[in-house]
Amino acid sequence: MLFESSPPQSFSCDFGKSPYTGRNSQDSVHEVRYMSKDLERALSKLRFDDQVLGYSLMTRVGRPFVSFAFPDDLFPRVKDSIQLYKTDLRLMTIDTEKGLVVLSPVDNNWILTVLYVPELQLGLAIAKTKNVLRLLEGIELPPPPVDFEESSEENLQVLESIAIQAASVEPKEPAAAPTAATPSASPAETAPPATESLKPEDFSVTPSTVPERGSEYSTALSLDSELNSEMKKTYRNFGFDVLMLVDGNNSVEQIADSMFQPTDRVIELLKWGACRGVVSIPRAEAKTAQSSAKAGGALGRYVKVPKFEGDLGKVDGDDLVVIRMCDGKKTTEEIAQAVHMPVPKVVQIVAKYRKRGLRMIGKTV
Amino acid sequence: MPKTENPLLLSLYGHYVEDVLSNTSSIEEANQALRDLGKSLGQQIYLNTEIVEKTKENITTREDVAKLIEVIYKVLYDKKPTEVDMKTARGSVRVTDNDCVWCQEVNLEGMRGFGYCEVFSGILESILEFKGVEATVFQEMSRATGADICVWNVRLV
Repeated sequence: MLFESSPPQSFSCDFGKSPYTGRNSQDSVHEVRYMSKDLERALSKLRFDDQVLGYSLMTRVGRPFVSFAFPDDLFPRVKDSIQLYKTDLRLMTIDTEKGLVVLSPVDNNWILTVLYVPELQLGLAIAKTKNVLRLLEGIELPPPPVDFEESSEENLQVLESIAIQAASVEPKEPAAAPTAATPSASPAETAPPATESLKPEDFSVTPSTVPERGSEYSTALSLDSELNSEMKKTYRNFGFDVLMLVDGNNSVEQIADSMFQPTDRVIELLKWGACRGVVSIPRAEAKTAQSSAKAGGALGRYVKVPKFEGDLGKVDGDDLVVIRMCDGKKTTEEIAQAVHMPVPKVVQIVAKYRKRGLRMIGKTV
Repeated sequence: MPKTENPLLLSLYGHYVEDVLSNTSSIEEANQALRDLGKSLGQQIYLNTEIVEKTKENITTREDVAKLIEVIYKVLYDKKPTEVDMKTARGSVRVTDNDCVWCQEVNLEGMRGFGYCEVFSGILESILEFKGVEATVFQEMSRATGADICVWNVRLV
């Protein structure tokens, strides 16, 4: 067996239907040819970029497969970083004396590593890497062979022949072929989404909302699902990028910032995803109840509160009960409620001490 | 360019009025919204200005009310109202200003009944309330809608 793991995901569904017809495998060989052409095209974009010093397409364990001008002495460091994060690896940057290294996973088997000139801005380096990733996204790469000569130029042809063989070999379990990262994809695909009838306006998202992964999250990320193609049709690769950043820790604002995208665009996608169970975000009703309790916008409510810093001994006996409450934390309304007095009366008393140590201070609650 | 006093205040208030007009469906509703703005400003004005020190602690007579209005005018606009009339109408004090700050250079046509300067009604009403005077205040006419003078009616309860 040539492969590290199960047969490649890319061939699971289509060839499962009619794996014996010659025509079909013929087509797939063509597809594979396109695959390697597309891969070469994507990589050549890096090769002809003046700000790219070198690049390497690496396996998930950090072995360089196809490299171009990537300094050998950097490989151990890159490998260490990859090992450190293992499956959690997203976009990662390493500052080296040779330049800025950006690591980014292409799929479950491959990592693209690019070395940029040291003076390039971090944001630009990330954006450039993402551009190449976009090109690679449509290409379905087979997993690397178990044994290969590291960084060899011929490896591209090796990859091509693997894919051709894979295409002409009948997959053993066509339906159950999802790779490790999408284990729940198959069961989730068969179950109808419970939240089907929801509309985007049923959800309430602010920049501080932290979206979480929903039950259909992995389905949306697996390339052969209906959900994924729907997402791709509407949002192109933007959807994929946003979902990759949804981990229950990143807020909407952080996601938008790290993608250099407007917040409302992220919110729109999240609402779309929430309707289909891809992500989970607060429902609008819950938000309304919460905001009416707070009676304010996302920033909270700005109020002015009285604060007494004078000598309490000089306060008239009758006024003491009110002035004592002026600690710079309560509004006049809250004080009135606490001492069972009408608000105008409280304001009247507070005003008397304006020249005797009482200040109005602004705060957000 | 017309010469206005306090252009910052004018543009901010003008902006607020525009907002109110686009969010309300009747003139009366808009008037009330502007009075509400004034009422919510009243407390801050009362607690941050010299109105308290410059007025009697207990306001009991119409003359006291008139005096209070003059103090408010002094503090807010640094001038005197053109007239404070305590006699013409029973139970009411009418404040007249022929050079009102709020509606300088504002000309609204076809807005009869709209109190452009209703914000002052709210301010007055809430300050009177802090002084223990129950009153309702509304604007009778405004230069903004074509009158020669701005008039507020302080109806003492």
